Amino acid sequence: MNPKRILIDTDPGIDDSLAILLALASPELSLEGLSVVHGNCSLEQAVINGLSILELANADHIPLSRGCELPLVQPSLLAPETHGGTGLGYAKLPKPQSKPIRQHGCDFLIEKIMSNPGEITLVAIGPLTNIALAIRQEPRIVNALKELIIMGGAIRHEGNTTALAEFNTYVDPHAAHIVYHAGIPTTLVPLDVSYQCILTKPDVDRLLQIDSLLTRFIADTTRFYMEFHDEYQGVEGCVINDPLALALTFAPELCDYQNLPVDVDISSGVSLGKTFADFYNYTKQPANMKVALGVRSRDFIELFLERMEKLARSFKDSASEGINMVKQNR
Amino acid sequence: MPSHRIIIDTDPGVDDAFTFLLALASPEIKLEALTTTQGNVTLEKATHNALSILELGRASHIPVAAGSMYPLVQPLRASAYVHGESGIGNSRLPAPQAKPVPQHAVDFLIEKGLAEPNELSIFPIGPLTNIAMAIRKEPRFAKAVKELVIMGGAIQESGNMTPQAEFNIFVDPHAAHIVFHAGIPITLIPLDVTHKCLLKREHVDRILKIHSPISRFIRDTMEVYLSASYEKGFEGSALHDPLTLATLIAPELLTLKEYYVDVDISGGVSMGKTFADVFAITKKPANMKVAMNVRGDDFVELFVQRMEALAKSIPE
Repeated sequence: MNPKRILIDTDPGIDDSLAILLALASPELSLEGLSVVHGNCSLEQAVINGLSILELANADHIPLSRGCELPLVQPSLLAPETHGGTGLGYAKLPKPQSKPIRQHGCDFLIEKIMSNPGEITLVAIGPLTNIALAIRQEPRIVNALKELIIMGGAIRHEGNTTALAEFNTYVDPHAAHIVYHAGIPTTLVPLDVSYQCILTKPDVDRLLQIDSLLTRFIADTTRFYMEFHDEYQGVEGCVINDPLALALTFAPELCDYQNLPVDVDISSGVSLGKTFADFYNYTKQPANMKVALGVRSRDFIELFLERMEKLARSFKDSASEGINMVKQNR
Repeated sequence: MPSHRIIIDTDPGVDDAFTFLLALASPEIKLEALTTTQGNVTLEKATHNALSILELGRASHIPVAAGSMYPLVQPLRASAYVHGESGIGNSRLPAPQAKPVPQHAVDFLIEKGLAEPNELSIFPIGPLTNIAMAIRKEPRFAKAVKELVIMGGAIQESGNMTPQAEFNIFVDPHAAHIVFHAGIPITLIPLDVTHKCLLKREHVDRILKIHSPISRFIRDTMEVYLSASYEKGFEGSALHDPLTLATLIAPELLTLKEYYVDVDISGGVSMGKTFADVFAITKKPANMKVAMNVRGDDFVELFVQRMEALAKSIPE
């Protein structure tokens, strides 16, 4: 079977990093590039983090493009309390040797999608600014994309940024509005499912039994994330939103879905950025996306851990043999 | 040697067309390019019209870049009622021979702007979608643009789309919000002044004494535009977009005030309303100069004279 061709639009970001690593660890996928956006940290920092993570996984042949540094309409909002000053918690990765490609993130998305119509699955795990601008600059990408999987929104679940709004959507609600109503086949992965997927301290200890740069990175980056979840939300462990969205590209059976009309409030009141679904069809609008509302969370965490263990072992082996699994997979 | 190098970002549109002709007729101005957007008409018609009008003005060497097909967030709307189905009234221009450049208007604006920082002024006379996208796509764009002269907004004057909102701003209020707060030097030409610059039937008749495709074009476009204006109780058709060029060719006609100006994007009855903080209640620093008064008859006279000169230079 040919691997599924994916692009990730991302603001790495602790759980973004884990999603990128999961993509690299999954033989079902061919990761064809990253487009980077502001969000969890500044664009500048997110680009550095994206490059560093690709280098950590010996995958610096994968192109990374710089996208937008500000939301469309709202003022900039970053999340240092959640992801740390560098965006990667307590992890310290060496300064990357590689550089982003010259093309703008929007143009990279447009070119990749338009030159491979019906082929590309886009996984959006940050604010949707790059994707909204790309849609407005080249409306034909809407029909050329195979599928869009968005980590964002909180349907029945409370928000993690305001009482009502989830971070990625709140940071650029206008971009979300553009993307939701563009007509792309979309799957939404809201907090309703991601907040059931908690990586715990014992999970990380299990990974650490393999001594490698990769497992130590995961431990360092998630330690900060766990402290945040404990201090702000009373959650023991950390919620790994973005890897769940990524996993649905090749393991959709992890979630249960409903087709629903979904909208986002952009009217600047207390509900700004609130993502809501019209379950009872008051608005008489057709469904515009598939929303994940149930998840087999322990199956997902187990899948994540197994893939990280395999990736970590492949690096241990490759250190002596001079090859690595990621490149073999290509 | 013309001292002012400009790009017009436009959705032609009758008064947009007059703006290109006025720029071509003005030795003070070097028109470097047109970038198109949806607004008065669809993007496709806007681009077609832009190319046709440049050919009418013997200026088909000037590049046209096609831009945004939709407003950023709001749904698409077009004002065929005012500008006629084609956007340029009842005029029948031949299909253009020239084609738009392959580059998207947003990238064209970014490239031109960054290549020559502080050299180019941009005259957006349609919805501000292209300019907003350029600002967000390339943050250095805002610092590279010399000035924006925007036709848009209604400060004390009533709106022409809703009781409060002017068309260009109402069509893409989010884009206007981005542009107003981007830190680019801006001069705003709102309805407050454009409604004082009315082109009347007698002006059209005067231009028609010169036999030229230019005169005929003005007559044909004005038929629809004038009757729409009469229906609203105006004595002539406002030269909204051409008035932006007064900032270069007759600045003494305009009274400019520095204000903090914002636009309502909250989605209520004031959606798209442009307002100025005249009493500095918000304590925010001014973000633009706003034309609050104009010697309208003098501007219309200047416009007619320049059209006569252009018509003479392009005989039948």
